[in-house]
Amino acid sequence: MSLTSFAPIDPRRRRTDKIMRGVLLAGTLIALIPLVLILYYLLHKGLGSWSGSFFTTDPNGNFLGDPGGIRSAILGTLEIVALASLISIPIGIGVALYLTEYGKEARFANVVRYFVDVMTGVPSIVFGLFIYIVLVKSHIGGDFTGWKGSFALSLLMLPIVVRAAEVVLLLVPSALREAALALGAPRWRVITRVVLPTALPGLITGSLLAIARGMGETAPLLFTVSVAFGATSDLGAQMNSLPVQIYNDISSPRDVIIARAWGAALTLVALVLIINLIARAIARRSRVA
Amino acid sequence: MQETRHQFREDLKGLERQVLGGLDLVIQQLDRALEAVSYQDVELAAMVVADDDRIDGRYLEVHQGILSLLARQAPVAGDLRIVAALLHVIRCIERMGDQCVNIAKLVPLSGYESPKDKDILDSIERMGQLARSQLSQAKDSLGTRNVELAQDLARQDAEINRLNRAIFKRAVEIGDELDMREWGMFMILVARCLERIGDNTVDIAEQVVFVVTGLFREMADSPTASEAARSA
Amino acid sequence: MIPPDTNTEEQTEMSTAGGPSEQAQDAPDLSALGVKEGAGHAIKVAGLHAYYGSQHAIKGIDISFPANEATAIIGPSGCGKSTMVRCINRMHEEIPGARAEGEVTLDDVNVYGEGVDVTTVRRMIGMVFQKPNPFPTMSIFDNVAAGLRLSGTKSDNLRERVHRALRAVGLWGEVKNRLGEPGTGLSGGQQQRLCIARTIAVEPEVILMDEPCSALDPIATLKVEELIDELKSRYTIVIVTHNMQQAARVADSTVFMLDGEVIEHAPTKDVFTNPRDERTERYVTGKFG
Repeated sequence: MSLTSFAPIDPRRRRTDKIMRGVLLAGTLIALIPLVLILYYLLHKGLGSWSGSFFTTDPNGNFLGDPGGIRSAILGTLEIVALASLISIPIGIGVALYLTEYGKEARFANVVRYFVDVMTGVPSIVFGLFIYIVLVKSHIGGDFTGWKGSFALSLLMLPIVVRAAEVVLLLVPSALREAALALGAPRWRVITRVVLPTALPGLITGSLLAIARGMGETAPLLFTVSVAFGATSDLGAQMNSLPVQIYNDISSPRDVIIARAWGAALTLVALVLIINLIARAIARRSRVA
Repeated sequence: MQETRHQFREDLKGLERQVLGGLDLVIQQLDRALEAVSYQDVELAAMVVADDDRIDGRYLEVHQGILSLLARQAPVAGDLRIVAALLHVIRCIERMGDQCVNIAKLVPLSGYESPKDKDILDSIERMGQLARSQLSQAKDSLGTRNVELAQDLARQDAEINRLNRAIFKRAVEIGDELDMREWGMFMILVARCLERIGDNTVDIAEQVVFVVTGLFREMADSPTASEAARSA
Repeated sequence: MIPPDTNTEEQTEMSTAGGPSEQAQDAPDLSALGVKEGAGHAIKVAGLHAYYGSQHAIKGIDISFPANEATAIIGPSGCGKSTMVRCINRMHEEIPGARAEGEVTLDDVNVYGEGVDVTTVRRMIGMVFQKPNPFPTMSIFDNVAAGLRLSGTKSDNLRERVHRALRAVGLWGEVKNRLGEPGTGLSGGQQQRLCIARTIAVEPEVILMDEPCSALDPIATLKVEELIDELKSRYTIVIVTHNMQQAARVADSTVFMLDGEVIEHAPTKDVFTNPRDERTERYVTGKFG
């Protein structure tokens, strides 16, 4: 067989190729349309509300007059999510470490993995209800409080952290663990001095993604933190948060409040976007994940 | 399915065939040299001298082949012993070829009409037969890796050595006239060449034992055997 | 008259400070180590059996590795040479489902004995792996120091020990001006010598090497082999190799293994000129395996 005996591509094959390409392109564009529309609407309707006072004043719940900004909502979201992260991220990484370093293929480890997978599929409202029944209805430590919202969010974030961390930890070459063990290191030192530092960028990325997810959840907060307008940084009290604020405002008869809802939505999306960008930047600078 | 390192095994067998063929060449040369001595055939002797080129050529071929094999294939263990042995044997072959040439060169020198001694002639003939049979046996033992045949060769060589010494003694005895003395000297030289050929076949036998057992032992003349021969 | 060139030494210093050239390599200088010559220790393996789950990989092995000698282990793939060597420093049991029985005696102490600390065993019996595995998050200096830090060895002269180890493997000239750079920035051969430096910084008694040159180019291989030749005077070395020429060059005695058993153990010269066992002969001449 020589080069000159290669036949030119069959025109039918060329056409089929073009058609397939066109179909896939069309599908992609269709899928992108809602995304573009959402962004457009957000910017169109929300950008107008953004102003200095929007970020520096609290919603005041007045029926008339200036409804106020969303400062307490932003603060509330940041605080509640911060506490949720503090709970879920260390525990999540710990579980992932157990699965990759100690449990491996043991029966118990596989059971844990299975349950973690199940938890990623549980609707967020269920977590909210769970905390509602266990902590809110029982009036433990108050009624609706910020920290109970954090608990609910951490239940939601935990499986995400575990999954992402496990993937990253598995990417650490076992040759490194072997080298450390062969030098006479006890297993916990292998983890703290070799595995974790090597996986760190990937762990950070995974955690940030979990945080971004946690920021946007409404249902768990509705049942645990409920709604509040007043500014408070006390996690032991009812707090405001962005998703709940939006939920509340959107059903108001007043246009200006609806506009505030859009502004809050845009703020939330912007926060998530920033976190995602930071996660991307860290991932790009690292070699593992 | 081909055995692993097929090309290497083929190359090694080829080298061995060349070496065994070299032994055939020597046998041929020896036969002709002895005939030239018996019949004073100067032309035949000249042919023997000329044909030594073939043996020298064979030596170079095998030498080159072995170097190439060592460089390319890095033989070890049994293979390495065979290669080392073949190198040694082809040198023995080259030396034996040279001995045949030496015998042939003596033919024109020893004169046409010179007086001859029957005893010496018989002994030379006997030595020639022994050398030839030793050569043949060396070839067999190498080709079949037969250690018994190889060890037997050392025993046979004792006889050649004995005959060599006998010829020397006889030549000294008969040396009254100048012509006779001269002829006797030449015959001593011929006997010595034959004895050398015998020694080389023993060398080959030693190599055969080395290839098979991995041990190298000199099959030297045992002192008691040579004592017995001298007093005979 | 030409004035004597007084700057040659300075110039040489500067030329080695630059790129990662291998031309500035110095000979391994083991006198820099604190280990005395002839200080090696013998290891004896007796009745060793090893299993992967139910698979019986090592079927009763007895070998003595003499002190201050290099012993090579050769054999076809799957014969158990790596497994056997990993049983010596108890790395075999790190594999899930794997276990070993028998005795491995170092200086009259059975490393499988009751109450023997596995991390101490591994400090006394170092290991160099097939693929160089410097820790990616650590600098060259930290990599060599890693052995001491990971095993928790207290040392007040850490810097000195690191420098000595680097000198001992002949890397000092090449890296002395960039000790702070990542360990992974070196060439393959340099990385492997770095790993060897890391191993000897802990001052083990025995060094196990599992195909240490398989991943290296021929020049780097020769350098490592020269190093092994030097190391012999102070340590006992066991080297697994599938490269028979390497075994022939480097080892004082050679062990041939097949299907989990030792077939022949003899001085290297004998194994490669006149092996006693038919199977050894067939393996080294390439008739199988």
